[in-house]
Amino acid sequence: MLLGLLLAACQPAPPSSISPTATDRVSASATRSAAASAYPLSLTDDVGRTVSLASEPRRIVSLAPSNTEIVCALDACDELVGVTDFDAYPAQVTDIPKVVVQAVPDVEKIVAAMPDLVLAAGNHQTPQGVLDQFDQLKIPYLILYPDSLEGIYADIELVGRALGATEQATSLGAEMRTDAQAIEDRVANAARPSVFYEVSVYQGVIYGAGRDSFLASMIELAGGKPVVGDATGVIQLEDLVAADPDLILLGDAAYDPSVTAMSVAARSGWGQMTAVTQQAVKPMPDDLIITRPGPRIIGGLKALAKAIHPESFGG
Amino acid sequence: MRTAAAPAIRVGIGGPSLTRAALVLGVGALLLAIVLVAAVALGSVGVSLDDTARILGRRLLGLPLAQTWSPSAETIIFDLRLPRVLTAMLVGAGLGSAGTVFQAVLRNPMADPYLIGTAAGASLGAITGILAPMLLPTLAIGAGTAWLGIGLVQVLAFSGGLLTVMLVYSVARRGGTVHVVTLLLTGYAVSSILAAGVAMLMFLSGRALGAVFAWLMGSLAGASWTSLAFATPLVLLSFVLLMARWRRLNLLLLGDGAAAHLGVDVEREKLVLTGLATLATSAVVAISGTIGFVGLVVPHVLRLAIGPDHRLLLPSSVLFGASLLALADLGARLAGGIPVGIVTALIGAPFFLWLLRRARTPLMP
Repeated sequence: MLLGLLLAACQPAPPSSISPTATDRVSASATRSAAASAYPLSLTDDVGRTVSLASEPRRIVSLAPSNTEIVCALDACDELVGVTDFDAYPAQVTDIPKVVVQAVPDVEKIVAAMPDLVLAAGNHQTPQGVLDQFDQLKIPYLILYPDSLEGIYADIELVGRALGATEQATSLGAEMRTDAQAIEDRVANAARPSVFYEVSVYQGVIYGAGRDSFLASMIELAGGKPVVGDATGVIQLEDLVAADPDLILLGDAAYDPSVTAMSVAARSGWGQMTAVTQQAVKPMPDDLIITRPGPRIIGGLKALAKAIHPESFGG
Repeated sequence: MRTAAAPAIRVGIGGPSLTRAALVLGVGALLLAIVLVAAVALGSVGVSLDDTARILGRRLLGLPLAQTWSPSAETIIFDLRLPRVLTAMLVGAGLGSAGTVFQAVLRNPMADPYLIGTAAGASLGAITGILAPMLLPTLAIGAGTAWLGIGLVQVLAFSGGLLTVMLVYSVARRGGTVHVVTLLLTGYAVSSILAAGVAMLMFLSGRALGAVFAWLMGSLAGASWTSLAFATPLVLLSFVLLMARWRRLNLLLLGDGAAAHLGVDVEREKLVLTGLATLATSAVVAISGTIGFVGLVVPHVLRLAIGPDHRLLLPSSVLFGASLLALADLGARLAGGIPVGIVTALIGAPFFLWLLRRARTPLMP
């Protein structure tokens, strides 16, 4: 993380144009850095565990779509031997055996894939019982749990070091930082509206950005003032009405076509909020890349900034 | 006591014939063996029956077999499936025998091993163990290096179950006697208090809710040789000591007064039997979470089939409880890792209903 901050401080001035996603521009011909001398390698993952790798991993299992995207962005897609049933990007990963089905990791299938590195997900997404089994079976694993853009850059660096692809990781991280900075610059001088990002509303329980969450920091970077719930993202309707956001973004509309500006206005208690009366309720079809902490996150940041400040993007 | 006890049993229940006992236990043991082989051979990854047998022969019996299988197959059979199947069997056996004893002591057809506080106490302990590392980061660092594979969750679940039953028992005791109804109601009240604590912790658990929920539903996914080594001696000890008291269990079925007339120290027996059954229950709950239904239904079904004599009923409940849960867990694994409690309820309950309809006599004597 410290390394990431230092690198960020050394960035050159942002270019005038912003590419849709940084990954598109990573040179596919870039060779894996010949860093055979780097192994055995000692790494520290996102929960502070020290992990040693005896040699360069050739068989990688990813237990989260964001981890898969990081591996593929480092040109190591063909080394993946297990992914989740939720993985669909890049398209080639759909052919890889699914070792996580309906969010449940199948340890038998993971063992059968004979991984020499597992990229697990933090924050209980990969259950502790499964991690305990990895420990007992001596399967090396890194827990990736980025909680900010800097955290994503750091995870890309971490996976890059683990896979012996430090050069790709460094250039990808640099590009992402440049692009993120360009977006932040565009919205820097605009007024900051308060923004409620709706993750889901189910049985009257409203989920938005959690306090100090990654999503809240994204809204901040995109030039908004996030309206946040508690640490888990739950916000009471009373608190939401009191916060009276200028803008409501519907992340859940990306998956549920019944969630629209009209259906929101019809919800009991929602109709009088400024965002609703001013018709500032917008569906967010790009929710997936806004909330998935992987290499496409800059595209998500741009989508968010465009939704909050369409005037800054010529819209 | 022996002279008084024997005629009472003959009159009240009818003595078991040796051949019938041998038949029941033989069938139980055979079923258990078949389930063991099937459950180890089947899973989400295909390993041939031949390789399965060879891996087991080499690792368990030390046979000098050439390794024709992949190392991952050996890991799957020996380090994942075998401990899981054996854990399912141990949990089923513990719940079956504990359920039998609780139904006899409490003389209540709704009695299961969790009734007087084990489940609530173990749940509160386990959830505290799941959430504590998040609140106290120093514990989180040690989370991966559990002592002998037994983590905070297991230790707190085990002691939570034991302590709760001790508390319930001492609260229910009045003037040296424990009335069964008072014990049941005390267990219900104390469980309600602890359940409120569980609900509060679930509400506060945030992203860990999934882990908490998985524990409450009961799962054998975390089974390992070390957790098996923790619970096996406790369940075995409980079973051996319970078996030694089969006559007194039979006499308790006649009612406290009759049992006392026949020379049983009723209060002491109730305490000892409750303690032993709770020991087994807490040990298995600690390694599997609260798996419902097995401890309630296995004793009932067997009582319908073979009668209430504990000399045969207790060992049968161990054998058939073990088979039932191992089979249910196999179904849960093949269905994509769903919680085993869903399988036990979904398949076990209709079968139980069918038996109830078919039974000509009421379930409890």
